[in-house]
Amino acid sequence: MLERYLQAVSVNDVGLEDPAGTRERLKERFPRGATRRMTQLGMLIGVALDDLCPRNDDTVVYASAYAETRALEGYLDSFPSASPTLFQTSIHPSAVQQALIGRQLPIGEFFPLTGRAHLVAHAFQAALLAPAPRVLLCGGEERGTWLLEQRVASERTFAFALALGLEPAGALARVSLQSVANDVPAGALGLPEFCDALRSRQTLDIVAAPGLRLCLVWV
Amino acid sequence: MPLASAVRLEATGCVTPLGNAPSTHAALLRNEVALRPAPVLGADGGEPVPMALVAGRSFDETAPPNWLPPLQSLQAELAGEGWGTARRPVFVTSSNFGVGSLYAYRRHGDAAHLAYGTPSTCVDWLAGQLGWGANVTTLSHACVSAHLGLLLATRVLQAGFADRALVFSFDFISPFVAGGFHALKILNSGFPSPYAERASGSIGLGDGAAYAVLSVDRGDFVLEAQSLYNEMHHFTSNRADGAGFAACLAPLSAAARGRRLWLKGHGTGTLEAGRLESTALCTAFPDTPLVGWKGSLGHTLGSCGLVELALACEAMRQGRAPGTVGGASPSFQANVALDPLSLEQTDGVVCASNAFGGAHAAFLLAHA
Repeated sequence: MLERYLQAVSVNDVGLEDPAGTRERLKERFPRGATRRMTQLGMLIGVALDDLCPRNDDTVVYASAYAETRALEGYLDSFPSASPTLFQTSIHPSAVQQALIGRQLPIGEFFPLTGRAHLVAHAFQAALLAPAPRVLLCGGEERGTWLLEQRVASERTFAFALALGLEPAGALARVSLQSVANDVPAGALGLPEFCDALRSRQTLDIVAAPGLRLCLVWV
Repeated sequence: MPLASAVRLEATGCVTPLGNAPSTHAALLRNEVALRPAPVLGADGGEPVPMALVAGRSFDETAPPNWLPPLQSLQAELAGEGWGTARRPVFVTSSNFGVGSLYAYRRHGDAAHLAYGTPSTCVDWLAGQLGWGANVTTLSHACVSAHLGLLLATRVLQAGFADRALVFSFDFISPFVAGGFHALKILNSGFPSPYAERASGSIGLGDGAAYAVLSVDRGDFVLEAQSLYNEMHHFTSNRADGAGFAACLAPLSAAARGRRLWLKGHGTGTLEAGRLESTALCTAFPDTPLVGWKGSLGHTLGSCGLVELALACEAMRQGRAPGTVGGASPSFQANVALDPLSLEQTDGVVCASNAFGGAHAAFLLAHA
């Protein structure tokens, strides 16, 4: 069984807030002028990570099903004169890079994951297998526009970040991952549901991917 | 960063514009260049740029994607069943997945393309086509994606969460990605010449897909050490002092002490990154020959780490490694090998890849 302790959490669930609103609300959290070039998800991930004071010996695990949807939409709309800025901004895992490049903070290991039903379980597996003393697990989505109309984008905008340490002292919760048999049915635990669980401090005990039982027990 | 313990490679394979791993290896030894000039936006036209597609595939997106057959051919090479179950997890890595389908939808309005446009819909569809179960972890970190799959699969095995692990990687080029690199001006009418000291740099883009089956104790090759480093300095350029390249290579240099190595670099054909990479490799591994294969195959993006791993294994089986196809003198460093290498006097290779955001990844591969 793998185990870590949740030492700090930051949740930023802004629902239907548009990027301009997020930019105005969060601009003081970033260097002057920086938010003009950031995506909504980049700003939210940036604030969530900033709340945890990232260090260069942290491992960072990032989970997002759709990532920079607005930049992707803008890039697709820029053809036939493709936008270089929107191209580079649309590439997974741009949100974390926006945050950490802004801080000029090099890190060793960075695992960006994507997926849907089992994304949370697999993100925790990457986090709990990392040998670093502290792992920052972050994730989020931003609400799309025309891609959402086609049901290939997130309906809501949110981000979260967790600091996972090895010591129980001062912990908010204990997180564990246990191997279970393949014939135990796996449920789905996507990012929006996990974000809701974090916000409401809900206990989780679920086989969240084939062979992986995820437990989150608040202290 | 602590190094992951060694893990065996039970099987590897790849498909490139030059065929499977043995065919590609043989063609590279003959200095064949797969890249051909083609309009950057396919049917929508644009500047001819160097691109290489797998045989029988057209550049413009279709629904379902026309890159399924080469992936099915790779899957057919795999021994055993039960991939994607609890004890046999799959780690899919890519940079683009099916995002080219969204370009096709936006340009032409055919909603059939939408079913493949996001990573999750693309991988879910692919899993169904290839007969995998639902235990599929998906990683995406641009051109170091495949390395992340290898490292995470290694840890899953070593922690006892799996008996065997399949790392599967693919990237098939499309107007979406070609248009982006063209807009960044690193994909242009020039052909790539990795590590060559010349006036302007250029890359080529190529299709690529590969797999590796990892096991704790079975296989002829071993991943002895793996390393990652992320500069977080700039989206599309590296620290000018090369510190990011050096930081990634330092743990491997220590792990490889006493070995007689050769080096397979990233070598896309851009100037500054090529100079920094070759300098860092030459410093970490003095007097060690360096080759790169993207001058022939093009940059296969998120799959490149796994495609080139399969080719490195093939080279070690055959005892000869292709040289830097498309390279030219003078090179940035004297250790850049333009001609094929005999591997008789070597016992390992360091393979490196780099990506946007100053991401670096490398591993040390040796005979078991």
